[in-house]
Amino acid sequence: MPQATDSRSNHMVLGPDKKLGLIRDTSIQPFAPKEESIEIPLPQGLTNVDVEVNLSYQPRPGDIYPIHNIKKHVRIDPK
Amino acid sequence: MSRLWILAISFMIVFLLAHGTASASDPSPKQANSLQELVDRFDSSSCRECHEQIFSQWEKSHHSRSLMGINDYIFIASYLKKGPLAIPSGEKATKKNFPCFKCHFPQIEFATDSVAAEIAKAALDNDKETVRKLNIGCLVCHREKAVVHGKPDMNGIYGNNDIKDHPETPVRKSPLLKNSLMCGQCHGLGPNLEFETPVQCATLYGSYLHAYIPSGGTETCQQCHMPGGDHYMPPNFNNRTELSERLRNALPMQVHALAYSFQPKEEDVRPMVVVNTKIFSKAGHRIPDG
Repeated sequence: MPQATDSRSNHMVLGPDKKLGLIRDTSIQPFAPKEESIEIPLPQGLTNVDVEVNLSYQPRPGDIYPIHNIKKHVRIDPK
Repeated sequence: MSRLWILAISFMIVFLLAHGTASASDPSPKQANSLQELVDRFDSSSCRECHEQIFSQWEKSHHSRSLMGINDYIFIASYLKKGPLAIPSGEKATKKNFPCFKCHFPQIEFATDSVAAEIAKAALDNDKETVRKLNIGCLVCHREKAVVHGKPDMNGIYGNNDIKDHPETPVRKSPLLKNSLMCGQCHGLGPNLEFETPVQCATLYGSYLHAYIPSGGTETCQQCHMPGGDHYMPPNFNNRTELSERLRNALPMQVHALAYSFQPKEEDVRPMVVVNTKIFSKAGHRIPDG
């Protein structure tokens, strides 16, 4: 999301009546795919894993619009 | 007696000339003193008679309820209660308390501060019936916002073509209507510094200009959001299923998962899953914005 300050300090502010300018923008940009790699340690001995990835849009806290729900099943070979 | 007549007639001529000159140099409409007067002045319901389909599309869009937030709440009330735009009561409000109206209700330019006070009172009283009357109707885009090179004729209508025999008022062609700048007038470049209390809401047009276009984008706002002239203008945040679907299409995502045992050194075995995600964007601007 675009993150704004009031241009008087480097503290992020909320609300159009306070925002002026941007300090950071983590939104998904046109023609710029966003990649992430997440490592999840597993308990010893676990061989089967179900991975579920959810992407959602949340304009306000608790107000969730689901976008993607993708599931993968992976396994670690037993020794 | 005849001298008196000459004097009276001369006075009348001078008066008529002065009045005519004053009118010619001041073409702006008289300021509305009440909310109902302003609403009536920008009433677009007569357009419906001939443009039923477009009007029905517009009625479902956020333009038809520009001061009602998601799920039909009066978002502007919160800024009137707390923050730099706050007022102790609705009656104290002036147009200065509503920089947001630059985009959410630009018709306020043609009204006095008493209209701002009426709107403030309605917002603070949670009077949805009144606040729902305020919208970005036909005459905002097809008149007030239709011309940026000079001033629009506030008695005229603008469209994609000249139509001399259009009912009530001839239509004049404005090429701006099909240009992204038309939408960009309101859909945001960043800070609005012209106000005593500067505000920043949407920065969508800025993203379009400085991210989408430089990356090779070629489509206009209208091509994606008004295909074939459809005035529904998605997204519609109140139709949750539809919005989720639209975002799903705009932001395709790939997921790859790898499970394996990582061994950074002898006897140090660490089972793990690595999840790689990649989100693409087919939109003409950042998502999300605001």
